[in-house]
Amino acid sequence: MNEHIVKAYEDELNTLTAECARMGGLTEAAVADALEAVVRRDQQMADSVVARDERLDALQADIERKAIRMIALRQPLANDLRRTVAAMKIANNLERVGDLGKNIAKRTIVIIDSDPMVPLTRSIERMGRLVVTRLKEVLDAYTASDLERAMSVWSRDDEVDEHYNSLFRELLTYMMGDPRTITACAHLLFVAKNLERIGDHATNIAEIIHYEITGDEAIATARPKTDALQRP
Amino acid sequence: MPQPPQSLPLRPRRGFVAQPVVLTGLAGGLALIALALASGAHLLLVLVLACALAAVTLVQARRARGEAGRLRAEVAQTHVEVADGALTLPYTSVLNALPDPVMVISAHEPDDLTGRRFVMVNRAGRRVLKIQREAGLLVTAIRDPDVLEVVDEALFGGLEGEAVYETGGVQERIFRAYARPLGASGDGARLALLVLHDETDIRRVERMRADFLANASHELRTPLASLSGFIETLRGHARGDEGARDRFLGIMHVQAERMSRLIDDLMSLSRIELNEHVRPLEDVDLVAALLDVVDALAPLARDKGVALEVETPPRGAVTITGDRDQVIQVAQNLVDNALKYSPAEGRIRILLQSDLSAEACVAPRMEPAARMSLLTPDHGPERFAALSVIDSGPGMDREHLPRLTERFYRVEGQKSGEKLGTGLGLAIVKHIVNRHRGGLAVESRPGHGAVFTAYFPLARTSAEVGGAPDEAPDDVIKLS
Ligand SMILES: Nc1ncnc2c1ncn2[C@@H]1O[C@H](COP(=O)(O)OP(=O)(O)O)[C@@H](O)[C@H]1O
Ligand SMILES: [Mg+2]
Repeated sequence: MNEHIVKAYEDELNTLTAECARMGGLTEAAVADALEAVVRRDQQMADSVVARDERLDALQADIERKAIRMIALRQPLANDLRRTVAAMKIANNLERVGDLGKNIAKRTIVIIDSDPMVPLTRSIERMGRLVVTRLKEVLDAYTASDLERAMSVWSRDDEVDEHYNSLFRELLTYMMGDPRTITACAHLLFVAKNLERIGDHATNIAEIIHYEITGDEAIATARPKTDALQRP
Repeated sequence: MPQPPQSLPLRPRRGFVAQPVVLTGLAGGLALIALALASGAHLLLVLVLACALAAVTLVQARRARGEAGRLRAEVAQTHVEVADGALTLPYTSVLNALPDPVMVISAHEPDDLTGRRFVMVNRAGRRVLKIQREAGLLVTAIRDPDVLEVVDEALFGGLEGEAVYETGGVQERIFRAYARPLGASGDGARLALLVLHDETDIRRVERMRADFLANASHELRTPLASLSGFIETLRGHARGDEGARDRFLGIMHVQAERMSRLIDDLMSLSRIELNEHVRPLEDVDLVAALLDVVDALAPLARDKGVALEVETPPRGAVTITGDRDQVIQVAQNLVDNALKYSPAEGRIRILLQSDLSAEACVAPRMEPAARMSLLTPDHGPERFAALSVIDSGPGMDREHLPRLTERFYRVEGQKSGEKLGTGLGLAIVKHIVNRHRGGLAVESRPGHGAVFTAYFPLARTSAEVGGAPDEAPDDVIKLS
């Protein structure tokens, strides 16, 4: 291969990584803004999150197309193949995260309609910030190719679940205490569920990074299912 | 050796061949500084611009001659010379000394994402953005869409712009990002400057004030209402009733004390939160701090018939980087809770372990038990000292664990602590530990007891500090 072709090939690989990182930034912003919309009861913010989702879908499609083209035409090997596949898989996860963010934003309108429930909103905010942080850390790990950082996100998978379980109980108590809150609480419950699933996607991305760097897929089965570990 | 005109405050030194493009850049830097001095504008920003311009000019000059290999050294040898020529400084040390992150970005085509690269970033920038390299893909350093947009506008639209940049994470910081166009280089690359200015303090003060007011007014309302109620009764139908008066005054006294505890705790929490992002610097002897707390609380334990067992290394053996008063507050709040929630004849074990990894800090100390991390430090290669307070009290159900550090959160039905607590103790602990870049974990087995473990990064020895990656001397700017 002459130097020119090698250069272009390297460029294409870098482009995939860069586009994934940019898509990651947009996704992080979407989730953070959706959370803010719910917490601060900001309909305008919610609308903007919903409107921006199309961009994420387009980026995902674009990354997938480029990755497939790359695999078909360049037939990358070993490291390069894993980098390509990882970019494609991460974009898929990010696209799902974007959808979940949009779904959260869409519930704002109903939640604004009810009286503010301060302690509940605080709990949602706390859980949401944890999820946003995990997403940020795992994307930082991706752009820095930092296996250790990715694994530290992966191994703390259960923190979000704990928050979800606790929030679930809190919501039940609320609904039983005052039936007028049932509609809003049900929506908050879905918000929490969506946040939990965003957390799962962050864990998935950590696994993809692990595969990209080490070539080892085994980790997916080795996840410590902490619930069994932790319950007395 | 070329001699730049006398009035040039910026001049390259040593073996530098003058080229028109270089002189333009240097003159630009001069003009900027002159302009700043004349107009009294933000000198720092202008200095940065001047330095950046000089760097970029050098880059262009060298690139044109195809001597990229020597670029690094040349750039490092560029000096900023101030006014009368009595003082010269390598400009990289000027940039690196700036507290604000500064970055120069280059790009070719608007639709070429990999073409956007940072070609220079100062030390503050590398620390804040957590990047090791001094050049690389822009999106690997910053993903924030708003910041990327203003950078694009500066690169391709020649526009100045601002955006808010939040770092996220447990030590969140908020910056205002300023993007400024730097024009185009000889080979057609567009250039822009990005400066981040830390506004965390201002934002925090705003948020704190709002939170404090909301919390204080909400929490003080109940005891205040009860006080007014008693006063009314005492003035009304209980006027002549001696017995009622004594009883009421007793209750009022308790309420008033509760209010003052609330105010103290709220103030203390607000103060801690205000500088939570500023890592403390003193060396603190953790063993001595802990033993002081134990001594102070020993009489209380004796009165209650609770046995305190302390297992620590000798005084002076464990040094952390911290704020002594705050570390004491952490130990005090944890031991205080253990005492408060322990039954008479209970047993409290206070355990201090040193030189642990983050994982070892959260390893089980009570089994079987539900456990949960309440605060995990941002990832970093540190060793910790862990303080565990292990009690034999009622513990709490698993569902309460994630909410313990929430302000005003109290587990219902724990009679012993109800009248004494404010529900702020653990919130204070969490914020202090976070300021120290440490962690907090809880274990609990209902009916058997609870364990709270706070862990702090150990003070680094001076040898380690010298070798740490983000502290390394780097007057040389690398370009790739
Ligand atoms: N050692 C412990 N054992 C059992 N419960 C505890 C313990 N420490 C804290 N808690 C629970 O956590 C709640 C919050 O603690 P904290 O923030 O210190 O507030 P408080 O002022 O009520 O002590 C307490 O009200 C109590 O329900
Ligand atoms: Mg307490």
